[in-house]
Parts: sequence; structure tokens; C-alpha cells
Amino acid sequence: METNRYDVVVVGAGLSGLVAAGVAAHRKLKVALVATGAGSFVTGPAWLTAREIRQASTTADLGEAIDFFCEIATLAGCPYTGDITTARFLPSILGDFHSVALTPLTLWNAEPRKGVTTAIVGIRGLSSFDENFMAERLTEQARLIASGCAYTARQISLSRNMGVPVTTLRVAQCFDRDPVFREELTSALRAAASGFERILIPGILGLETSAEQIAQFERELGCQVSEIPTLPPSIPGLRVYHHLESYLHKIGVELYRGFPANKVEIQDGLCMGLQIASPGHPLNLRCRSAVLATGRSSTNPLGLEYAGCDQQMRPLNSTGSVITRNLFVAGPLPHSSDGDHGNAMRILTGYRAGSLAASTRGNHAA
Amino acid sequence: MWCGRAQLEGHGMEAAQVVIIGGGATGAGILWDLSLRGISATLLEQGDIANGATGRCHGLLHSGGRYAVKDTDTARECAAESNIIKAIAPHCVDDVGGLFVQFAQDDPAFFDQWQRAAEAAGIRSRRLSADEARELEPSLAANILGAFTCPDAHVDVFRLVLANLEAAVARGGRFKTYSKVTSIHTANGHVRGVRYRNALSGEEHEISCEMVINAAGGWAQSIAELAGVEAPIYCDKGTLLVLNHRLNRRVINRCRQPGDADILVPAGPTCILGTSSIRVPGPEGLSVSPEEVDRLLRLGDEMIPGLVDARILRIFCGVRPLYAPRTAEAAKGREISRGFALLDHETRDGVGGFVSIVGGKLTTYRLMAAEVCDCVVGKLGIIAECATDKTPLRPAIDRKTHQRALHLLPHPVADKMERRLGLATVRVIETIEARPELAELVCECELVTRGELEYVLGGSAPAPVFAISDVSRRTRLGFGPCQGTFCGYKAMLAGYQTHRWTAAEAANRFSAYLHERSRGQSFIHKGRQLEQLELNHDLYGAEQPFCAKPGVQDGN
Repeated sequence: METNRYDVVVVGAGLSGLVAAGVAAHRKLKVALVATGAGSFVTGPAWLTAREIRQASTTADLGEAIDFFCEIATLAGCPYTGDITTARFLPSILGDFHSVALTPLTLWNAEPRKGVTTAIVGIRGLSSFDENFMAERLTEQARLIASGCAYTARQISLSRNMGVPVTTLRVAQCFDRDPVFREELTSALRAAASGFERILIPGILGLETSAEQIAQFERELGCQVSEIPTLPPSIPGLRVYHHLESYLHKIGVELYRGFPANKVEIQDGLCMGLQIASPGHPLNLRCRSAVLATGRSSTNPLGLEYAGCDQQMRPLNSTGSVITRNLFVAGPLPHSSDGDHGNAMRILTGYRAGSLAASTRGNHAA
Repeated sequence: MWCGRAQLEGHGMEAAQVVIIGGGATGAGILWDLSLRGISATLLEQGDIANGATGRCHGLLHSGGRYAVKDTDTARECAAESNIIKAIAPHCVDDVGGLFVQFAQDDPAFFDQWQRAAEAAGIRSRRLSADEARELEPSLAANILGAFTCPDAHVDVFRLVLANLEAAVARGGRFKTYSKVTSIHTANGHVRGVRYRNALSGEEHEISCEMVINAAGGWAQSIAELAGVEAPIYCDKGTLLVLNHRLNRRVINRCRQPGDADILVPAGPTCILGTSSIRVPGPEGLSVSPEEVDRLLRLGDEMIPGLVDARILRIFCGVRPLYAPRTAEAAKGREISRGFALLDHETRDGVGGFVSIVGGKLTTYRLMAAEVCDCVVGKLGIIAECATDKTPLRPAIDRKTHQRALHLLPHPVADKMERRLGLATVRVIETIEARPELAELVCECELVTRGELEYVLGGSAPAPVFAISDVSRRTRLGFGPCQGTFCGYKAMLAGYQTHRWTAAEAANRFSAYLHERSRGQSFIHKGRQLEQLELNHDLYGAEQPFCAKPGVQDGN
């Protein structure tokens, strides 16, 4: 059986897993990230709502965790805007406003602004987004929060056949790969934006797009542009995932993608390693410490023994004793009692578990 | 709100010979039966169609095997009725057949008894060896000893109710959903009319009538009270689990005394395991405990090993509104007969023109309707024979329409659409021909096209929709693994785009729909559906209810 040795093995590529791997890698440790796929945060706008922040604000290390997250997001090329002390209203998929503290840059400028003429531009054939619905809802909702911003609906058509129905992922991929397409989109949007100071579009601006490219795109359009979240495939969330994962790879984290970790090897209360259920033969990863961030699914490799975690984020069994001292759980695992599972909590627990794992000398398999 | 014949002109008050209360299978069956006999009738339903026990059952069209040993009369009724339903409503039935399987841990005497009882009840059956049974159903446990075949089938309950209503409307019958009866008027010991409130607008209306039929199922007692009489109902809760695969091809019954979790019915792309049997005070405010779910899963796993790990899409419970006369008071849920009773409140209580139909089961709904209507025509002094056993609920679709559908849509999509829409298929085909983008599959699990969605939302559909869950009951949209997370959103946008709803109305309806759908998932305490819930949460935000704690369920 194949064996690979690491300082820290992180299981799960949601926000907590990505942050935990980032923390360990920044401390110059040898890190592996094991994941079947992206975490569920990618289906949303990947923002941190004011409510989540409020709920997590009793913890002293929230600011530190968020600062670290913003730092790696910037290094990864998908900077976040905002901070934990302020909030602004941003449009949600249902056309109402959520109070948001931090968000990927491309969503930041969609807040209602009095006196700023704003168009919501849809794309013909993109059936999961309706610009008229959005404009009507947002105008009404903006009135409720007394900002009085009026939104006007516009639609563009693209000459390229992108299938029926057009999906945001298809548009984003064309945007990433095809300069001719980007040019056509730019000129169509420019025409739709004429007479407006700002346009809001469904999340379509590529999965790989960097902050500079968005700024360049805005200059070409001649007005401010911001994205609105859509049904999955939701590009803003996927874009954050894509950038963070590429960044971790760049700083030396080894990625094991596509297969679940199905077993934790425990000896005398220490986690010696994990097994990945890769096809053919299982792959064994040895580690000094580990982070489990597999989400609220049933695929927790600790199995039925797991019944929650203690203050130091170590897993407990049903009798309340620690299962293993050098394994830490992050994010919302099954049986977790915290009611809200927002992104702030994911980042916070990922940061903590990553820090604990990085400073723990477990077994000396490596 | 009005469906079918236009409101009667004149004094402004609506009128009908007969008012039927309750839009489940029985009520819809009565409306069709009366309409076929040429009697003007109006059906009032407090929610949407099939809102009570009808919409919350296994969807099992019983061959009678389940009752063969204990209740020969019910078994014989089921055997005859299921054959009639298969003949008059083939588009509602998935005639999969069933097995009564003998497991090593069950009483072998019951197995032999079953064979004799089934024969006596007229149930077609053939004995299979364990190997033969496992060849037909490879997922069955290895320790089975043998099995009997039987003509069990799955019936789409929503479609069946709709088919009865549509057929009735074509013959002049009328029905109103979201219309809750608030009082029953009597004068000189005879009913004169009913008053009802529109649950959406709050407006109150009256209908004058000669007779009132109480077919309110679990709510029958509260309706009877409006007329100052009794219709004693024993409410027996049954919990069912919807699993995300068809683990079986046929209906699998455990051949033993009826107990918990011993029937697994393949239903569309899913299968349904049930049930439990717990007495509850009434048909509303039901909940399910994790222990109950675990118990059902464990028992199901005895039949199909591995079932315990299957993904649960949804957990729902309904109430069997069993008839409980005073003598049956001491009996428990499963011991009370599944038979039905027609209560003539004129002879019982001196309230003329008021009858209640209580008890019974989905499979025998037509027979129940026929008996009620025989009684009603007698009281009205009309001579008209029941013809529902020989009259198809809707005409067959013509070959040309079928061919046109196949030009536009993949075979399974066209097939499902034809079964759902019948003759209205041609309208959807025309719209897709004119606007090819309407061929988009909005619900990929139940294969609902945008064209069909727009038709159901539009004014020309015979059963109007007011909520997104009504759309689900017409099309099965949202019954798959996403539980409406994606397709419900698209249905909301379609409702806006077709000018059915304003943006605010559409968004409110979608929130209500998500809430209702997530309540059905809130009883799920483990497994992969939790990932779907988390995704739901990320998508629509923390404002949506999100918990693994048991809640209160009212949705279907």
C-alpha cells in the first residue's frame, strides 16, 4: 500500500478545510488536502453576513481568523471587501437585501445607492435569472429600507449558440477562455449600460478572473459593474473556491481530489493517518496531526463513534471522552449543536483547527 | 376561484343540488360520479387537492393481499376495485405488480394461511420459490423462504384526484380549492346551504343546496359538528419515508400480520417505505421522532439489506381517518376495519340532506363514492345508475399528438407529459413548437418542461394553482432529490414571467414553498439529504428554516 507522510492532513475543501490547510501551509508545514469535491459554500455567494458575524463575535479570535482569510483570499487573487464592524445591503437570489459584512469584490458594489441610475442586465436564454423580476423586487425592497434606489431591467442577446437553456457556467467558461466572446459581451453590455452609472449582472464573469481583470472590464464598459448571485452553478462561490484551491497548490499543499477519506487510523488516542478510498487500492496518508472538515454529511470518517467535539475542537465519543488528541474538527459536522452554519463560523473553526493542528506534535510517523 | 360552469346568475347566491366537502380521492370520486349521473354538484376543499390522507399515503393500489387474512370483505373489495381503477385510469397507475414475501423470522403459518385467504378473496396469485423471488427482486434479503405474486400497483394519487375532478368539470361539475366550510345552514331539520371562506382572500360566500356530503376524511368530525352531529373518527398516524432510488421493481409486502415498515412501494424515480401506526388526536400538527425513523429504517433493512443507508429525500406522515363507532373504541389502529361507513344523518340524527362518508381506503374510493351517490340520488328522488366503473376518466391520446410530442421531446419526457396532461398535451406541444425554448427541462427528476409548467400556471388549466406546492401536485415538480431547491425557484420565475404573480407575490410563494419542503426534510437526522439542506441554506441564506430538529409538519 502506498504511503505518503505529512505534517498535517486536512479532509474537506469547504471554507473551513481550505482555511485550515492555508494556516498550516503558511507555517511552512507539509500539508495534504483531501476532498471529494468543493464544499457546499460554492452554491452561495460566499459572503459573510452581518448576522453570522454577530453570532460569532463573542469569540476573541474572530478578527484574527477573518484577517487571515482575507489575506489568503487577496494572495489567491479573489480579494474580499468590507470588514467585520460594518455591513451593507446586497441583493440576494430572491431579490431581497441581505446585510453583508464581507464579500468577494465582484458582489460589493450592488448595494442600493440613492440617485445612482442602475440597470439590471439579463442574458437572453439564461433561464435561471430574470432581470425584470430582480428589478421589480429590488426597487420595492430598496424602498422598504428607505434607500429609494430604482432599478431598470435590460436584456442582451449573444450571437453565439450556448445551448438551451444557457447556464451561468457556460457563459463564465466562454468568458475565461475566449477573448472574442469577451469582446462581444463587453460591447453588448456597454450598449445596455448606456445612460446608466452602474449595471448589475448575474454572476457570469469567469471562474478564473482576477481582480485586475474585473477592473479592466469595468474600464472597457465605462461604468461600474457588480454581480448578483444566481442558482447553481453559482459563479461567485465557485470562483472563490477555484482561486483558493489554486493558491494552496501554489504554496505547496498537495491535493487529493475526487475520493473520500474513509478511515482514520488511531493508536493510543493518536491519529496516525488517514485512508483515502481511491479506486483499485486505498491510499494511506501518514500525519502528525489532522483536521476533519467534512461537513454535515454522513461521510465523517470517524464513523458512528463521533458525537461532537470539545473546546479544543477534539472529537468526542458518546461517553464524552476524547477519541484522538491530534485530530481537530472544523466546520459543521454532524451532531454539532451550533445552529447556524454560516461562512463566518466555517472560517473561524477552520482557522482554529488549522492553528491547533499546526502546533500539535502528534505521532512521529513523518 | 371558480372552476367549470360559470356562477349561476340571478340572486347572486351560488346554488347546486349537492355540495361535497373534501377534495381527497373520495370527494373527487363523488363529484365525478354525481356529474356523470347529471346532478349538479360543487366540491369545496379547504386547501389544495389531495391535501389530507390521499396525498400522504404510500400510493399503493392494493390488490387486497394486505387484508386477505384478517378482513376478507375489504380484501375482496380491493381486488375488484384495483382492477377497475387500472381500467378506467391507466394514466394514473404504474402497474408494477407485487410480492408477498416470506421471511425466515416471520410466522410460517401465516404464509400458508395467506394463500388460502387470497384465493377466497379472488386475488390472482402464484407461489414462487425463494430463488424465483430473488430473481424477480434481486435486492431482497437472502434469508427469504418464498413469495406470492399479486397484482399490487402504484397509483399517482394527485393525478387520480385531478383526473376525477377534470372529468367531472367536463360534465358540468364544479370545484373550489382553498375554500373552507365555516357553517352548514339547516331549516326545518334539513340542510339548506353552506357558508365557506376563501383561505387566500378571506372572503366569505354561500352556496344553497339540497344536500351536503361530508367527505372530509380526518376532518369529518369537525364538519359533522357544524351540523350538530357526530362522525366519530379514529386518527391513526402513519409515517412514510421517501427514498431516492427505486430499490425494488415491484411492491414488496412482508407476508405476516400487518405491522410497521412492511411495505415498500416503487413510486416514480423513488420508493416509499412505510408505515407506522400511532394514534393521534387529529389530522394536524403531526411530527416524527428520530427513533420512529430509525425503527422504520431498521425494519425496512430486514426486507432489503442496505436500505438503512439509503438517502431519505423526505419524511411525511398522514392520518388514516378510520371509522370508529363506539363499539370499536377499545380497538387499536390496525385492528379497526379498513372498511368504510356511510352515515345518514337523517335517520341517525334527524338532520335531513346530510350524509358523511368515513373510513375506507384509497383503493376503494370509487366504490365509496358510488355508495354515497346511490344514497344521494335516492334522497333526491332521481333515478340514475352509477357508471363510474365502466367510464374511462379521460379519453386516450391520439397517435398523431403522440408523434408530434416525440418530434419535440425525448421519449420519457413526452411519455410523462402525456400521462399527466392527457388531451391538453396538444396545447403544450403547440407552445413548444412556437417557442422551442419551452422544451427546457425545469424539473430534471420528474421531467417537467417549461412548456408544461407554463400551461399549469396559465388560466386554461382545469385545476388552477395558487401556490408552488400546487404546481408540484399537478406536475410532481420538486419531488426529486433537490426537493424544489432549483426547480421551485424556476417555477417561481415562471409564475412571474407568465404574469400569474407579481415579483413580490412570487418571492413570497417561493419562501412558503421552501419552508414547506424543508419541514418535510427536517425530520431527517442523518444521511446525504443533509448536504442538500446545507446547500439550500447556502443558496437562500439564513432566513430559511434550517434545522435537524423535529418540527411540526403540515405540508404533504
